Amino acid sequence: MRKWFARLAVLGVALLVAGQGQVALAQEPGAGKKVLRVGATQAVDSMNPFLAVRIVSTQVHRWMYGFLTVPDSKTLQPSPDLAESWTASDDGLTWTFKIRQTNWSDGKPVTAEDAAWTFNKIMTDDAAKTANGPAVENFESVTANGQDLVIKLKAPQASMLDNPIPIMPKHAWEGVTDLANFDGDKYPSVSSGPYIATEHKKDQYIKLKANPSYWRGAPKIDELQVIFYDNPQAAIAGLKKGDIDLIGRLNPPEFEAMKGDPNIEQWDTQGRRAAYLQINHGATTTDNKPVGDGHPALKDVKVRQALHHAIDKQKLVDEVWGGLARPADGSIVPPMFKDFFWEATGDTKVTHDVAKANQILDDAGYKKGSDGVRTMPDGKRKLEFRFTIHTDTPIEDKLAEYLAGFFKEIGITLTTVKLDSSKFSDETGVAATFDIAISGWSVNPDPEEILATHLCSRRPTPAGEGGGTESFYCDPTFEKLYQEQLKELDRTKRAGIIKQMLERLYTDAPVIAIYYPNNLEGYRKDRVTAITPIPEEKGLLYGGSSYWPFYTVDVAASSTGGSGGTDGGGSNTGLIAGVVGGVVVLGLAAFLLTRRRRSAADDRE
Amino acid sequence: MTTPLESAEPAVAQAAGSSGSTGEDRPAGRGTLRYVASKAGGAVLSIAMVIVGTFFVFRLLPGDPVRNLAQGRRMTPEQLDLERRRLGLDKPMLEQFFDFVGQTLRFDLGTSYEYKRPVLDLIGERIGATLLLTGTGLVIAVSLGIWQGTRAGWRHGSRFDRVSTGVSLLLWSVPTFWLGLLLMMTFGVGIGPIPGILPFRGIESVDAPDGFGYLLDVAAHMALPCLTLVAVVYAQYLLVMRSSLLEEVSQDYVNVARAKGLRDDEVRRRHAVPNALLPTVTLVFMRIGFIVGGAVTVEYIFTWPGLGQLFYEAIKVPDFTLMQGTFMLITMSVIIMNTLADVVYHVLDPRVRSA
Repeated sequence: MRKWFARLAVLGVALLVAGQGQVALAQEPGAGKKVLRVGATQAVDSMNPFLAVRIVSTQVHRWMYGFLTVPDSKTLQPSPDLAESWTASDDGLTWTFKIRQTNWSDGKPVTAEDAAWTFNKIMTDDAAKTANGPAVENFESVTANGQDLVIKLKAPQASMLDNPIPIMPKHAWEGVTDLANFDGDKYPSVSSGPYIATEHKKDQYIKLKANPSYWRGAPKIDELQVIFYDNPQAAIAGLKKGDIDLIGRLNPPEFEAMKGDPNIEQWDTQGRRAAYLQINHGATTTDNKPVGDGHPALKDVKVRQALHHAIDKQKLVDEVWGGLARPADGSIVPPMFKDFFWEATGDTKVTHDVAKANQILDDAGYKKGSDGVRTMPDGKRKLEFRFTIHTDTPIEDKLAEYLAGFFKEIGITLTTVKLDSSKFSDETGVAATFDIAISGWSVNPDPEEILATHLCSRRPTPAGEGGGTESFYCDPTFEKLYQEQLKELDRTKRAGIIKQMLERLYTDAPVIAIYYPNNLEGYRKDRVTAITPIPEEKGLLYGGSSYWPFYTVDVAASSTGGSGGTDGGGSNTGLIAGVVGGVVVLGLAAFLLTRRRRSAADDRE
Repeated sequence: MTTPLESAEPAVAQAAGSSGSTGEDRPAGRGTLRYVASKAGGAVLSIAMVIVGTFFVFRLLPGDPVRNLAQGRRMTPEQLDLERRRLGLDKPMLEQFFDFVGQTLRFDLGTSYEYKRPVLDLIGERIGATLLLTGTGLVIAVSLGIWQGTRAGWRHGSRFDRVSTGVSLLLWSVPTFWLGLLLMMTFGVGIGPIPGILPFRGIESVDAPDGFGYLLDVAAHMALPCLTLVAVVYAQYLLVMRSSLLEEVSQDYVNVARAKGLRDDEVRRRHAVPNALLPTVTLVFMRIGFIVGGAVTVEYIFTWPGLGQLFYEAIKVPDFTLMQGTFMLITMSVIIMNTLADVVYHVLDPRVRSA
């Protein structure tokens, strides 16, 4: 046994020595090169922007390709990107964009023809519709005339300037015949954005180099690497070790795990998300036929409002989110989007008031039984609701516990139903076999899409096809306001209408906004020397759906940083680690062999 | 983990019925051929059942694949229709079934919903990494297990026996995920004055060197996942080896060998160990079936780009064709390896053939 320990000790010393040596030897061939390594915990689905839908993929495409417009880094209002300027006809049906004089990364000029080709491709090729089909649904025609791009619409659309489609190089992509099966993995990419993709190993990493001919000027760093981790714990370990420099989209536990590390800056800002409860207030299909098995009591707006009064949002923020969220007093558009954010004040504001909640229910005839649970006014059914959450989201379990506690105080029983994501979207979005369900969306700078999830037309068809509804809402007032804001091209006036819509949702309560989770990120202070968030005043880094932070970022050159990073580090570090790894594996094998011989020898003696 | 012995039973029963075989003299006699043929037939039947079963099981799963594909995005009814047609989901079930069987027989596992590429291509990209990791892990775990099991069994009750059995059992009962994270923190990130030196993400560095340096780089990336894998699985080899050696030690022939005055070491190596190895060999073959599937947990912890990771991604989405494809591949390799294990057992153990 002693021999065992001796060997282990020797191995330990060898590891230690190798470790020390590694730090001393960490001279890299690419010394002086500025590389930013971003950790990602979601795999890229496709490098073809016509097909890619995952957030991580669209993010990478935002770094690679230009769009017509980009949110301004201060105001988040649409500002020039590939389109230098634009005009809309008085009826709001014809939009003319002037495309910037700049070049693709292969030297060919960017023209309106490229943009027209991109949009027409999506309008005419079924495969190209995959990622952004709905964004061109309202397009009548798209034509190019020199640097002018003319888009004719079927109906006015105020959100035109928030078009989510990257402009693709016609000359590089028009030869692709089978777009549905094209992974877009030709490197280097032909791009017009700040970065050019040069290498992609699926679920391992993507390398992007700075585009020297980018119209704003080349980024400050030489290379941007996206490094994939399957699990968030490993990603945080990678950040702590210095294998990566920045990571976004964290959950509270991972965010807390970074605490106390002197090299890491915890970046906790207001987020793009709103979390809300969707309530089955009498789900119907597009032909107004009831669907599902929602509790009848929830059809009563008074019950929904009583539920709202019973929820202690501050407590949810403090105890479910560990303070890393903000209570929601109003809109499903988070406060980050100042122009459109609406907050209830004065009499409209639903405060946490259990007595008032009880009063509302008493007045409406929902009497408490001997067991403390209320029944319907006709006495037939108890107020026992289901709360539908996802199986794999621990924070929702916690939320369910708190809500059950709140509702118990007003004589309502809440039981939790856990569903995996596919069943969840089926039951809460199409079949309507739920009472209350958790929901939440990441909101874009233009909130049109999030508002549209509450339109009548989004309810499932009689055939049971889902259209993307939130709680099957269908309300004439809301519909009218939605149409009005579509036509309103004056931003301030439009924001006013949108706020009315948010207020309508708040008072009618088909959904109840509960909190806005913070956007949790972290980066290495010793590596990232400058980065401008979006919006600039304490905004988002990775999660901002804009290239701005990654365009403005600057890092220490790799010879001074990367303390022992084997992943992004140089070949020497890799070599040493390789030697150590090899030694461990080979050593184990050799050890076994010698042990065997020796034991035989022992026996002989 | 005792399945190998159970699965070997039909082999014994069947061989007992066969006549004319005279043991070692006729290792590939007619009886063996017939035995192999019947086993192969059984395997083909099982595979056919897997193909049929896979089709129906994956259609019983909840959720509409097309809507899953949308992932909460807005899709117009036309778009949904389009996708449905593209995936062949608009056809009658029976037609879908025949399409599926036809494709599978042509080694076409369909197109992944999520990656929009042929499943077989995706598997092809990953299988190398999985075989490298689990293959190396298996070799180390088997050698370590057999060696330690032999020693422990031979010196039954010694301190070595108690310690190695205890340690291996402890490691076996530790959750893989926890052990993997522990190793990652210790050797990857480093604790206190001990610097982390081993990489813990992926199969290679982003800026991996070429040539020999690349091999070392991959070796370094393999160290931690391999260690985790070995630590968790080697106990079964140790225990099987130990117990079957214990059984042999009490046999008469071992006493005879000792009585002849052979050295203890020789008795062990020449007589006891070869006989005791049989169940272990079967176990190894059984495991080879599973290594194709990889070690999902280990691949997930260390972001190892293998089949396990692919399967995990497929479940997360869920990507039905990809799940279906990887599932079929893994099941089939297990069936084939089980059949091989039966045959190998049959060939190796004269007692099975000539009983």
